[in-house]
Amino acid sequence: MANVPTDERLPLGLEALAGAPAPARTGRWAGHLDVGVPAAAIVLLFAACFVWPTLLPLAKPVGGNIFEANLGPLSPGHLLGTDTVGNDVLSRLLYGGRTSLETALAVNLIGLFLGGTIGALAAYLGGAVDAVAMRGLDVLIAFPALVLALAIADSLGPGQGHTILALSFFAVPVFARNARAATLRLRELTFMTAARLCGTRTWRMLLRHIAPNILPQLLTFGLLSMGAIMVIEGALSFLGLGIALPDPSWGNMIFQGQQSISATPLLVLFPSAFLFVAVLAFNLLGDALRARWNVR
Amino acid sequence: MTATAAPAVSADRLIGRVAALATSPSLRLAARRLVIAVPVLWGVSALTFIVMSVLPGNAAQQILGVQATPAQVHQLELELGLDKPAWLRYASWIGGVLTGNLGRSLASGQPVTAIIGQRLPITVELVVYALAVSVALAVPVALLAARRPGGLADRLSMGISMAGLSMANYVLALLLVIALAVYLPVFPAIGFVPLTESVGANLRSLTLPALAIGLPLACFYTRLLRADIADQMQEDYVVTARAKGVGPWQVLVRHALRNSLFGLLTIVGLNLGTLIGATVIIEQIFSLPGIGQAFLQAINNRDVPLIEAIVLVLATAVVLANLLTDILYAVLDPRIRYGQRPD
Repeated sequence: MANVPTDERLPLGLEALAGAPAPARTGRWAGHLDVGVPAAAIVLLFAACFVWPTLLPLAKPVGGNIFEANLGPLSPGHLLGTDTVGNDVLSRLLYGGRTSLETALAVNLIGLFLGGTIGALAAYLGGAVDAVAMRGLDVLIAFPALVLALAIADSLGPGQGHTILALSFFAVPVFARNARAATLRLRELTFMTAARLCGTRTWRMLLRHIAPNILPQLLTFGLLSMGAIMVIEGALSFLGLGIALPDPSWGNMIFQGQQSISATPLLVLFPSAFLFVAVLAFNLLGDALRARWNVR
Repeated sequence: MTATAAPAVSADRLIGRVAALATSPSLRLAARRLVIAVPVLWGVSALTFIVMSVLPGNAAQQILGVQATPAQVHQLELELGLDKPAWLRYASWIGGVLTGNLGRSLASGQPVTAIIGQRLPITVELVVYALAVSVALAVPVALLAARRPGGLADRLSMGISMAGLSMANYVLALLLVIALAVYLPVFPAIGFVPLTESVGANLRSLTLPALAIGLPLACFYTRLLRADIADQMQEDYVVTARAKGVGPWQVLVRHALRNSLFGLLTIVGLNLGTLIGATVIIEQIFSLPGIGQAFLQAINNRDVPLIEAIVLVLATAVVLANLLTDILYAVLDPRIRYGQRPD
């Protein structure tokens, strides 16, 4: 429950929010951006998980031959070997990455649009609307996400769509809080008052004046939350509630590998490494962007 | 009052202090939060109930399994009171909670309070251990990093902590198992030894889980503390201390760190909720009989009274942690304590 009274503290990043260029970063701390470039490259590389499987002559991620189970890395035809049921590990990693990225992206987009709208609207309208919306979000944030995820997985069955639905329930309130804090900071600025005095309608205020100004903060937050959501998706799949076997996801590959962790630790290490590098890349990119746009 | 003159004065001063504390803005904020927390807790419990009753399947079916005939299921439903409408069950549950009765587990028939009393201490011990690990690591590393911003120690620790932050705790848990339980069998991979049996074995069985939770947390705290200390080092009082000729470590530890610890304290308090969430999966990996494991079982069994009670305990823990943070803040920060009434 993020009960930090963010609204009371005034931010440093007002000039950036108002569209002024961020102060040039010089000296020893200019390094922030340099990290962002390789991070972006890695993110793109992972995004290419959508392309790799069609370009590379890979085995199918499911329906492997049980007689080819537990092959080591660099086996003929299986660059990273095979798992305990004979599926190609590299192929599963790439297809699993696709699932992870798709899921995280979908959850983030839902959070961004739905949460962003709720938060901005609550902050802009204020008063009772704000109070009701915020208490509702408080409940959702305090509500253990696991209950909901388990409930959804249990009743609707595990699967990508249901995982996205479950994860959205805790992405939306967090994005909404963020959008609300950013909008509250904007509300008192002169250009907002001017726009209001011109008789601008609410929806136009939201679309033309608020949205472009809170977007940098929400996008930065979204990048940082890409990593977080991939981790949670992994956790759900790990508990057998996210993406169901035999379909691959990094989370359920780790879970599958855990069963034979002392005999074949590589089956845990490969998906773990992929998950780690992907999350790290998103975090670095988010951090670099935060420094660039000077948002909190 | 029968007190003699001297103690009466100090009692008076004590009352003055308490009064100053009670009217401090931070405590009023704490009180307001407590009032807000009540509807939030109620909302959480209602939402849990709604989700659990909308779901197909109930405890009777889960307990008896797929082999059971509809008649058997119906019989057990009658026994457990599951045939009554959901709102009626919720009303009677809430009535029980208000009178301090959390009901009985549907699966085991044990009182819910007994189950929680058995399992909560294990989770609390794990969380405290993890917190201790993280703070014990974060403070010295942050000091070392903040001593020379941009220096080798700084860049190294910031790089490592970024990596640690990107590591999922279940991944770290498995890596620790591979390294310290499979290859170098130093710690047990699974199992739990109660504190009453052997303190050493108990700590050994909790070390890997505590590290899995504590290390990423340490990375988080290190980054926060470093940033805060670096900010403090720009303050006038630090410049004054330096000008007086106080050594660099003295300035860092006695002056900057002291102030930065407040920020850390707040974050630790606010973080407690996430921490408790993390124990669910970590307890599962290391098969620790804590509250997280009970939670997963309860959800699988559709054991609504137990689920409700655990959700309530977790949410209350979060609220209390936030409250305690506020109060500690008021007690520790002289500016808040004596703000109203200079002593």
